[in-house]
Amino acid sequence: MGSADVVVFCCNWDGLSAVDAAAQARLSYPASVKVVRLSCLSRVHLGLILKAFELGADGVMLLGCERGRCHYGMDSQGVVQECQKGRAILTLMGIGQERLALTPVAPGDGPGFVQRVNDFISLLDRMRLSRPASRV
Amino acid sequence: MFDIEREIQETRARLCLDCGKCTVVCPVAQCDPDFNPRLIVQRRLGHSAALPDETIWSCLSCYMCVERCNYRVAFPEFIRALRWEARTQGYQVKCSHGGALQALMHMMARDGLQQDRLGWLPADIELSPDCDTVYFVGCAPYFDVVFSDLGVSSLEAVIGALKLLNRAAVPFKLMENERCCGHDLLLQGDRDGFRALARANMEEFARHGVKKIITACPEGYHTLRVDYPKLLGDTGIEVLHLTEVLAPLVGNGLELGKLEKRVTYHDSCKLGRCSGLYDEPRGLLKAVEGLDLVEMEQARDKSLCCGGSPWANCGLVNRQVQEWLLGQAEATGADLLVTGCPKCKIHLRCAQKIGDGKVPQIEIQDMATLLAQSLGAGGKVDG
Repeated sequence: MGSADVVVFCCNWDGLSAVDAAAQARLSYPASVKVVRLSCLSRVHLGLILKAFELGADGVMLLGCERGRCHYGMDSQGVVQECQKGRAILTLMGIGQERLALTPVAPGDGPGFVQRVNDFISLLDRMRLSRPASRV
Repeated sequence: MFDIEREIQETRARLCLDCGKCTVVCPVAQCDPDFNPRLIVQRRLGHSAALPDETIWSCLSCYMCVERCNYRVAFPEFIRALRWEARTQGYQVKCSHGGALQALMHMMARDGLQQDRLGWLPADIELSPDCDTVYFVGCAPYFDVVFSDLGVSSLEAVIGALKLLNRAAVPFKLMENERCCGHDLLLQGDRDGFRALARANMEEFARHGVKKIITACPEGYHTLRVDYPKLLGDTGIEVLHLTEVLAPLVGNGLELGKLEKRVTYHDSCKLGRCSGLYDEPRGLLKAVEGLDLVEMEQARDKSLCCGGSPWANCGLVNRQVQEWLLGQAEATGADLLVTGCPKCKIHLRCAQKIGDGKVPQIEIQDMATLLAQSLGAGGKVDG
């Protein structure tokens, strides 16, 4: 059984800089992590989140700027609301709201990104073992 | 396998006399001159290998055309078949709401799903786990999440319906793992998705020994009663709408209360034209003391569609139809527009919200919520 499939929606700024820093430093994380770059996490809506799960993702991580650092001044209100909706839907589905994570990251924090994504995969693997029937 | 000859036979498309009545009454055709049910049929009958006709995605499936057609040509069902054909050719429908509802429906069709969807159930609702009647809740718990920013609650109506059934001493149980009925996937031409949901639901019904289904959702009612047997043969399950159950019990086990309100009732397409349930909802509303029921300019079989769509291809035409309907409702002078359909409420509230203040802001309420309020038993959702 391989690592859990994770889709990371990352913003073009602090989120991507952390992913890039991890690559520059040759830090490794499982190949089952698919990074999708967006201009800003405000682009993420419930449809995108659920589509990832529909297509077989075990978990979705929304990786973006820390509070107050959004490059478009949008901060995180939009994505927080969509994330809350997504988590509520996953709860209703019985799949587990933990499968959707909103993860702020500091600019250029490669090790921080790798740590968070590895922790997320560990959580998903534990959920998969404890609830095999409800695997997405 | 898609078979155009079979679809033509089943929808009586060759009986079309080219009279154009369907187009005269079609609300979409009144807004969009490119949309024409008669010509959609003509084009497809004339060109067996035609490319997908772009206009097929505009149909609201309101059945106004069928109501008026002398030969009952099933234009909406023919168009639904063409959508299925277009999908098999790789055409993708333009999903509204970012495709969230489509993703939800597909996820709900999966094997092994163990939903946790009854957390909203109030403690004072009395269930009868041993009976063979199930109340089909529908997608209300999911709608309340997806449309939380619209300020509409579909669960309030469900709770109101359950309280009414309790008051009328009608026993029922609920299913923790019921799925979406699949109505919107069928309407979009996604027959594989619909089939998967129908099979999953039938397995749940069999597991619970269900012999009778009661539901307040008009689309769920029509889908379970008409489309499931078409797909699966006789299901052996009686499907009743909430109003069919409650209307005969008024004054005979169910005493509705008092409400001083002037209301107008909107016949949803699936409950009205598709199912012929016009008098039952009106009978229930009239049984509430003090309730003044006034009719819109277009009512019963001529009722306007809410302009909704199967969560796809929503645009200016839909908005225009919604404005017409809300305008008719406001012109009655009613305090409330009452509808029995959670999706009508969502679509109309959406039109009011994004209408920049120009759309009539008449309050919209679900029938079951209103009837429950007359009993002094509203359906507020906790949390």
